[in-house]
Amino acid sequence: MSTEAVVSAIKESGSTRSSLRIAGRSTWLDAGRPVRADKTLSLRHDSGVVSYVPGDLTLTVRAGTPLSEIERVTREHDQWLPLDPYGSPDGTIGATIATASAGPLASSFGLPRDLLLGLEFVNGRGDVVRGGGKVVKNVAGFDLSRLLTGSWGTLGVITEVTLRLYALPKADRTFAVALKGSKKEVASLVRAIVMSPLTPFALQLLNPPVVRALDIGEHPVCLIRLGGNEAAVDVQLRALSSLADSKEVDTAVWDGLRNLENGAECVIRISGLPASFREVSAAMLSDEYPWISEYIDPVRGVLRLVLRAPDDAAASEDSVLGIDPAGRPDEHVVFEKLPGESWDGIPSAVSDSLSQGVKKAYDPHNILNPGILGD
Amino acid sequence: MTQPTPAPTQASTSPAQFPVAERLAEIVGERHVLSRPSELLVYNSDGLPGYRRQPRLAVFPGTREETVAVVRLLAAEGLSFVPRGAGTGLSGGALADDIVVIGLHRLKKIISLDVANRRATVEPGVVNLRLNKHVAPHGLLYAPDPSSEAACTIGGNVAENAGGPHCLKYGVTLNHVLAITVLLPSGEVVELGSKVGERDGYDLRGAFIGSEGCFGLALDITVKLTPKPQTVRTLLADFTSIDQAAHVTSAIIASGIVPAALEFMDGPTIRVVEDSIYAASYPRDAEAILLIELDGLEAGVSADLEAVRRICLDGGARNVKVARDDAERMKLWQGRKKAFGAMGRLAPHLIVQDAVIPRTRLPEILATIRAISEKYGVVVCNVFHAGDGNLHPNIAYSADDPAESERVHKAMTEIMQACIDAGGSITGEHGVGLDKMGYMEAIFSESSLNAMCELRAVFDPERRSNPGKVVPVHACKEWHAVPGGRLRTGTSSLTDAPEPRPVEAEPSHPSAR
Repeated sequence: MSTEAVVSAIKESGSTRSSLRIAGRSTWLDAGRPVRADKTLSLRHDSGVVSYVPGDLTLTVRAGTPLSEIERVTREHDQWLPLDPYGSPDGTIGATIATASAGPLASSFGLPRDLLLGLEFVNGRGDVVRGGGKVVKNVAGFDLSRLLTGSWGTLGVITEVTLRLYALPKADRTFAVALKGSKKEVASLVRAIVMSPLTPFALQLLNPPVVRALDIGEHPVCLIRLGGNEAAVDVQLRALSSLADSKEVDTAVWDGLRNLENGAECVIRISGLPASFREVSAAMLSDEYPWISEYIDPVRGVLRLVLRAPDDAAASEDSVLGIDPAGRPDEHVVFEKLPGESWDGIPSAVSDSLSQGVKKAYDPHNILNPGILGD
Repeated sequence: MTQPTPAPTQASTSPAQFPVAERLAEIVGERHVLSRPSELLVYNSDGLPGYRRQPRLAVFPGTREETVAVVRLLAAEGLSFVPRGAGTGLSGGALADDIVVIGLHRLKKIISLDVANRRATVEPGVVNLRLNKHVAPHGLLYAPDPSSEAACTIGGNVAENAGGPHCLKYGVTLNHVLAITVLLPSGEVVELGSKVGERDGYDLRGAFIGSEGCFGLALDITVKLTPKPQTVRTLLADFTSIDQAAHVTSAIIASGIVPAALEFMDGPTIRVVEDSIYAASYPRDAEAILLIELDGLEAGVSADLEAVRRICLDGGARNVKVARDDAERMKLWQGRKKAFGAMGRLAPHLIVQDAVIPRTRLPEILATIRAISEKYGVVVCNVFHAGDGNLHPNIAYSADDPAESERVHKAMTEIMQACIDAGGSITGEHGVGLDKMGYMEAIFSESSLNAMCELRAVFDPERRSNPGKVVPVHACKEWHAVPGGRLRTGTSSLTDAPEPRPVEAEPSHPSAR
């Protein structure tokens, strides 16, 4: 597979008006709305490093490269791509960028849009387009890289990406703080941790089903990842000790958290003002429904709900969680995975005229992932 | 809608000459519409005064409602316009060639500050430094800090996706804007991004940032604020060779330490600054200095400071001086931030580039720049964001000397080509505007440029907002489909800006910024 192969596949589809399901390694195909496609265009075999000069801390790879491969290649040079989307690490970088998938590290290292320097894609007419570049700072031309990030393959098939890397921290340690006490006490502790001088790599509040699945206790937990040079981690650890008792856990716990979503039938992401999540976090971290995993990023202002049992999920979607698909004015509800029939009635995020205009310009025949964004 | 009393000193416009002026005056008040050529002189250039274009008229709305009314009137008349902030840009991007300038500096309200959620919503005319002063008492800062921060506006920063020395660690404007209320050239108001959370759907906010005024204008901008670091330490390392300083820059980046800023100044720049009122006690006999800032938690910064000092000394630094206090720190920064201003001592005009190269190529490119400057007999000064590989080679010269001008432009073109050949970009933070449009085809294919044209056409189908900038008109396939290749301009004689030739202008010395 190469860019040329993607071009000919798209041109062929365009001429026959048949539609394409765009896939990386097909690990996340259960995310997003059902796609009505005649064929699958897989980038699984379009994989590998195009250029990597460790001294530049930039990496250019083909879109089908798995995240785990990027981790392996960069680790050899004591570097990493701090991008840890939920789900399997065998997912591809192309799919990660296309779906703008982020994980716990996003609160300190940014979203995929912040780590992306440039990309190549093939639009719905089969034109090869490049946006951005390969250097760390660049304002040449309109920003097609950001436009494609999170477009779910509907504007073009991403074939290559250039990313910003970081040096692996000298120290990278994770601590669990049990959130015990009244709701008021928990809210006050969470607020104290978030507003303290701590600069954690990641910070997540986990409800008891998640805590049990990760085997790190019984109560709700505040999971804190501290990284940097040894001195910076030590001083933060002392600051944390003055706020609460903590115990160190294996940093691999973060992989466990990412993997919790594998095979889940229902994943809902709610984002809003971070402070509101701190205040209500105690109430949200309930143990009432053991089939609902909840984790909150109180820095970024994101809550994820993962429902294990499909039957319960469908039944509980409105009644138990009380989630209005349209969201409230002060928050955004994004359904990442739902059982097929549950998508009915959930409004599309690309129904506005600007989004429709972009779609029409980049994929005039509507052959790329039709239906995935509900358009 | 407010109707301020017309100032008696302002002459009214001639309706026969340009009827829309009168109707704009009805919206914003007569004193906020300028149409006499002499009054418009101020608006005929930006921070690169070598490019000059005379606007037909300038209008300065004072409220959001007035701005919407102005743009709707221009839309109804089919008139083109250029949104303008403080005019500090360095790309010729805010120039209006016989069309309307919409100056947004009167829209300067800080609409809201949410300390708990670390965000603020501001109008586009709010000056960058003013926002920072406003949020500082709360222990917060707005990270992007272009050298023009004391004058440039947040609206202009969004249009250019502005950077600054500290974007090495903190990122550029793109990384700090959460939401923008956009007034499309049609007069429609749309909300891009989200003030409260993370939206799904296409990242149109990301597409708008850095669109250089071609997608419409911002009515308000919600930015992310950053907690002030606990500790800031600034080092000055001086070298007797440029090559050593370049290698040390690469070594610091490769070490994995992310300084808040890592700035480079070469010998000629040092001496010009030291001769000027911005003298910062830089060592005059050095061939290069690095200004390195580290911030974060005290303990972590101290450890990194020691590591950086060691890299500098191992790399051949003569001295590494650490600023003792804030006053000394500010003095060191003053020399750097005002360096372009100090260049005025050398010659009346200045040409500045903004190319970005991969950071490991720095020693090689600086050697190439030196060879090119010797070949053409010109003095190239280098003062730039080394940590990002964002070069600002600049040449002070006299545009009145045609032979010198020609040598300067040939040298600059060769330098740009060397940066492009190294895998770099033509602009890291100044924008394409008019100045770098001629280089766009050197880094983007026809289909990439066409995709940019198509994106622009979604926001501005009539191409009335800042026409003739960023993407060369002939690169837009669709453009050729428009009958006559020209856009309707309503009832007036205003026409679209012609496509400039890249080397037609003689950028002169930008004012001290």
